[in-house]
Amino acid sequence: MSASALSIPPPDAKDNSRLIFWGISILTTVLVLGPLVPIFTQAFLDRPLYESSAAFTTANFIRLITEAGIGRIFLNTLYFGALTMVIAQIFGAIMAVLVGRTNLPGRRWLGEIFIWPLFVSNLIIAFGWITMYGPSGYITLLAKSLIGGAPWNLYSVTGMGIVAGLSQAPLTYLMCLAAVNKADPLLEDAARSAGAGPFRALFSITLPMIRPAVIYSASLNFVIGIEMLAIPLLFGGPSNVQTATTFLYNNGINASVRPEYGIVGAVAIVLLAVVALLVWLQGRLMRASGRFVTVRGKASRPNTLDLGVWRWVAFALVFAFTFLTIISIFGGIFLRSAVTFLTPLIPVWKLFTLNHYELIWNSSSYMRSISNSVIVSLVGAAIGTVFIAIITLISRRSEFRHGRALEYMALFPRSLPGIIAGLGFFYALIWVPGMDVIRGTIIVLILVFIVRYIPIGFAAISPALSQISEELDRGARISGANWWTTVTRIILPILKPALFSAYALLFIHFLKEYVTAAFLYQPGSEIIGTTMLQLVAQGDNGPVSALATIQVAITALFVILARRLLGVKIYG
Amino acid sequence: MADLVLENLTIKYGDVTAVENLNITVASGEFLTLLGPSGCGKSTTLFSIAGLNHATSGTIRLGDQILFDGSNPKATLPPEKRNIGLVFQSYALWPHKTVAENLAFPLQLRKIGKSERDALIKESLDLVEMSPYADRYPFELSGGQQQRVALARALVYRPPLLLLDEPLSNLDAKLRERARVWLRELQERLNVTTIYVTHDQSEALAVSDRIGVMSMGLMRQLASPKEIYEQPADAFVADFIGSSNFFEAKMIESGDAHALVELPNGTRIRTTPAKRDHHGALSVAIRPERIEVAAEAGENVMDAVVRQKIYLGSLWQYEMSAGETSFRMQLSQEIDEGPIKVRLPREATTIFTESARG
Repeated sequence: MSASALSIPPPDAKDNSRLIFWGISILTTVLVLGPLVPIFTQAFLDRPLYESSAAFTTANFIRLITEAGIGRIFLNTLYFGALTMVIAQIFGAIMAVLVGRTNLPGRRWLGEIFIWPLFVSNLIIAFGWITMYGPSGYITLLAKSLIGGAPWNLYSVTGMGIVAGLSQAPLTYLMCLAAVNKADPLLEDAARSAGAGPFRALFSITLPMIRPAVIYSASLNFVIGIEMLAIPLLFGGPSNVQTATTFLYNNGINASVRPEYGIVGAVAIVLLAVVALLVWLQGRLMRASGRFVTVRGKASRPNTLDLGVWRWVAFALVFAFTFLTIISIFGGIFLRSAVTFLTPLIPVWKLFTLNHYELIWNSSSYMRSISNSVIVSLVGAAIGTVFIAIITLISRRSEFRHGRALEYMALFPRSLPGIIAGLGFFYALIWVPGMDVIRGTIIVLILVFIVRYIPIGFAAISPALSQISEELDRGARISGANWWTTVTRIILPILKPALFSAYALLFIHFLKEYVTAAFLYQPGSEIIGTTMLQLVAQGDNGPVSALATIQVAITALFVILARRLLGVKIYG
Repeated sequence: MADLVLENLTIKYGDVTAVENLNITVASGEFLTLLGPSGCGKSTTLFSIAGLNHATSGTIRLGDQILFDGSNPKATLPPEKRNIGLVFQSYALWPHKTVAENLAFPLQLRKIGKSERDALIKESLDLVEMSPYADRYPFELSGGQQQRVALARALVYRPPLLLLDEPLSNLDAKLRERARVWLRELQERLNVTTIYVTHDQSEALAVSDRIGVMSMGLMRQLASPKEIYEQPADAFVADFIGSSNFFEAKMIESGDAHALVELPNGTRIRTTPAKRDHHGALSVAIRPERIEVAAEAGENVMDAVVRQKIYLGSLWQYEMSAGETSFRMQLSQEIDEGPIKVRLPREATTIFTESARG
């Protein structure tokens, strides 16, 4: 090379970045806001949306305020949400401190078991609880025969709240555990050298530091409680207790029998408003709590607190808790799938049967729901990962003027309860001409699942993205690459581990999803969750537990493969 | 090769003006350094030339090609069309590509055939003496080696303009001194127009044809290293380049050949002439290494006291006081603490009418 060497001119390739920015932004906006338009419209119409004679009315909202039963529904919903949150916070936080900071025997495997509920839908959990603790559940009957009665009633709002809270405790646990592990042990050491005893140091120094994690997971769990369908539906059905989601489900599904479109729209809007408000508050809380997060970086292993002899007492309690609320629930489902009926009065091997599995094997619609679930999860998660990765890159790593707006739009589904997303898509498919091409196909399910879980994927990808120095993209740009080439050749290859994690998370969420699909599936596009929902309603508990067992098996297989082959860390 | 011209370049972020009304012409083959404290706008200027951040108004031209025109946004070229080489402070080597693949990427984008590409990569790696490492990944290289590869990558497509953003700041002191000599040699050999950004004044003095000293978005002085050091345009430059003592003073007599000023302790000294006619409060700057020990009273000699001595290896630094005024002196020999006479040589003084931090 010398001074006379001619410079090599930059590439003259066409730059499609702008097209991609706008295309993805418009697509995201349509997918996220699309389902809301028909719901809002419906709420102000006196007849079903698709009828040309429908006219504007506010009667739906007036009915909402005046009708006595409906106020009750919202009270139930709030109480249920609050109880879910309280239970989840108490058990999750205690477990996090025990596992993260003490010498509790067996804390590693107890911690692993503790997060099992996160991998399955709360439909399966609800069913498992009924199998074990319902009025004729195994443990209930056992208690009756041993101590003459069972002091619990699952079929009440309190019962629902406790079960929902226990099923959400792992979320609190994981967030608090991360905070406990990240807390600088030097801070606790400093308290110790200042004269504090080990327990004093734990309470005065470490616990306040996990406060942001407790607050944030509390608000998440409250929202999750309010949006939850399965537990209120299964537990509230027999005792006729309704929450906002079960109201929407029952009246939306049975609309052909008893047209209640207007009131469904109105309830949906109120639910949406409550959740949106909570998510907004969550954002405010997090911003304020950022002030006390002084703990950063360094993943040093904190010193553990010696519980002394008490560690065996703690072990007994934690083990009993884990056994009674997690192991027995899963065990009950597995057992139930292989017996004619489950009772402590007759030894199980005398009731052993493979009939439930045979029934599934011989039914084309049950088999189809399994294959559909797998296809939706495998393919949908792949499409979703790519789509969400591009959204993340546009909003965080491009010169697109509306990048921030795109991020807000993409994160909006946090405020969109699954049942409303499903209902909205359902309306939109009827309402918008030409949409019947995809109505009742798994394509619709893939679309709505992706929309619902954009925030999950975003949360998996964006922290990894911010670890990649922006100078790497800038280096590519100055070398002659346009935005899209930079993304495909430089950023995405480096981002691969995060993309695998996002894929695994989406797969698990898609596989366990059922609420969003409840309004959208038709014969031919059923998935495991919707089939189970249908069978539970018919009281076919044998096949339900067989399907639930199959779903758990698929999940377990996937998690093991993902950890082995992709090296993905799922939930810690 | 072509001249780079910045005309009235202004860069604003909201209400903050990062760079104000900058005018620079960099001649073909010149090595120009932008020097200043952090936040002075030097890197902002560099990245706006690269197209990686957006200027607000003004123009940037490279030869007859317009890179940026504030009055005509459509004419602005995106970074990938500017054909500029850029070396980042962090080197920004792509971690998933080997050294050779890092260099191949810009050439692939330019649709250069395999054989020619390999030849160019080899030539460029030979230039920085990194050919034996072609198949290594960046994490397998030392900091100095990474820096060389980054330079090779920026040069492999033979850009007419090379931009360097503090490329030596991550190297240890010894290596940094060697690297800057080597860098300057390479630049002279290739005769590539180079803009170099640094906050290290000794680096700037060592490598540059010209230095532009910036502060708070403004160009304070643009001149050769010698001129910057010996005739600083203002008190900021005098203080930032090397270090200076500033004596408060009162103008007694301002002439064409020299000026006569009075220091707070009553000493009158002759200085180089003031640039502007100025009477009243002003400051006289003199570098610590230019102050001499005087044997007897005479012109520009005053009484002072050695308060403290500090051994710096190659020289001694003395904290001095003269009446209420304290100042610093550097000598190659050791003297004892206590009273002494010092001379402020007339030709080593500069008069400024504003304070150093202005």
